[in-house]
Amino acid sequence: MDLEIQKRVMDMADKYGPENVIVILGGAEAEAAGLAAETVSNGDPTYAGPLAGVSLGLAVYHIVEPEVKAEIDPEVYDKEVGMMEMVLDVDEICNEVKPIREQYSKY
Amino acid sequence: MVKEIERAGLPIVHVCTIVPISLTVGANRIVPAVAIPHPLGNPELSKKDEKALRRRLVLKALKALQTPVDDQTVFE
Amino acid sequence: MPYRVVHYINQFFGQVGGEDKADTKPFVKEGVIGPGMAFKGALGKDATIVATVVCGDGYFNENMDTAEQELLSMIKSYSPDILIAGPAFNAGRYGVACGAICAAVGGKLGIPVVTGMYPENPGADMYKKNCYIVKTSNSAAGMRKAVPLMAKLALKLLNGEPVASPDEDQYIARGIRKNVFKEELGAKRAVDMLIAKLGDKEFTTEYPMPAFDRVTPNPPIKDMSKAKIALVTSGGIVPKGNPDKIESSSASKYGRYSLAGVDDLTADSHETAHGGYDPVYANEDPNRVLPVDVMRDLEKEGVIGELYDHYYATVGNGTSVANAKKYAQSIAKDLIADGVQAVILTST
Repeated sequence: MDLEIQKRVMDMADKYGPENVIVILGGAEAEAAGLAAETVSNGDPTYAGPLAGVSLGLAVYHIVEPEVKAEIDPEVYDKEVGMMEMVLDVDEICNEVKPIREQYSKY
Repeated sequence: MVKEIERAGLPIVHVCTIVPISLTVGANRIVPAVAIPHPLGNPELSKKDEKALRRRLVLKALKALQTPVDDQTVFE
Repeated sequence: MPYRVVHYINQFFGQVGGEDKADTKPFVKEGVIGPGMAFKGALGKDATIVATVVCGDGYFNENMDTAEQELLSMIKSYSPDILIAGPAFNAGRYGVACGAICAAVGGKLGIPVVTGMYPENPGADMYKKNCYIVKTSNSAAGMRKAVPLMAKLALKLLNGEPVASPDEDQYIARGIRKNVFKEELGAKRAVDMLIAKLGDKEFTTEYPMPAFDRVTPNPPIKDMSKAKIALVTSGGIVPKGNPDKIESSSASKYGRYSLAGVDDLTADSHETAHGGYDPVYANEDPNRVLPVDVMRDLEKEGVIGELYDHYYATVGNGTSVANAKKYAQSIAKDLIADGVQAVILTST
């Protein structure tokens, strides 16, 4: 996850309290999504950014996960995400992000 | 890439900053460049001086292409 | 007493910045930075990272002798028992820096050294003989796997335990031969291998032939004033907007772009797609990477016969050797078909 974005997530968790922050990812690749998910929950696994060794424990989801889809107006979801939903490997992404959330997210 | 083009039969000169890499990889004619972000330039110089520097490097490269070599050669 | 470790990393893992800070001069900090945290965990109580030295990849590669000296004295001042560098994964300059500093420390301070790289990293070929380079994946995503392997090897070296074969301890073969005793006679082993080979079965050679792969230099151009010269670059110079969307890293393609009627490359007409160096200077004036302006001048003056009316570009950042080979073979074919006689290839 971009170093600049790591810092912003860290600042937001600090400002609003980690229990009040949820991260929703939108990347197209499962591996990258997994790395980002782990970064905001358990700490940057590449040890390159400000979240290296910092476990914020934030709740993190990917936009294509059913839990997120269920919370959004179907028409809006279809308009904004529908196309990507068809193109991306949704299962692969969910299988990458969900276990990380279950293991590391505290909230 | 330099090696493959040479292998195809074209004389080629590699203008690059990290000469040890070029040597290890196997280029035969090498001209050391200025710096990684600006191999054929130098933002500290005036435009005129910079172009003159670039011209010198290109001429060196052309000279290398006109020089017979038996083995890897760095044209300083 | 735990062993004393010094850790070497670049400006990116050192939390200083990205490409724009590649010119960072060496500095040292007590304790761990970035990936050092992972090593701390992996080394446990047997070894402590007492200091981390950081150096910009650009600064190191452009000033190898001075950088080495500065870093050597910083490292020496902490009286380390071992130096751990990187891991550099597939980052070329970082790999070269890690290899070089390991070779220097190993040679001048006489202590064990360990680093980690993707086998295709140019630093690997250059320094595999001088130090143990643990095999890693090609990106920082492999940090979690790389660190424990490097730590394990480091502890082995510190404890004076014998290092096993490259396959077992997961490092890049250094070309060192060790005499071992085998149960079966050599003659029998050789015949067994031959029988397997004849029967198209798998067998493992006991002595892999080194891959030399040198190419004989082609004869020089006799008359430059009549020659057609082509420009090729791995520095990623593309028309503004990167119409072919050449990737900034691990390029999956190369581009062929027209130079017809083009005497100069400008910030408006061209840009760099390369993600492995600070793009500011190349974007300001692309001639700094692809010298079209000077080539056109030389063409007009008759120094060269003609500048080929197309140039080829790809991005050399982490591009696989196999792909680079493919692109070049294809480019060479085109050039020869069009009567080009020599090539200048620029790299950053």
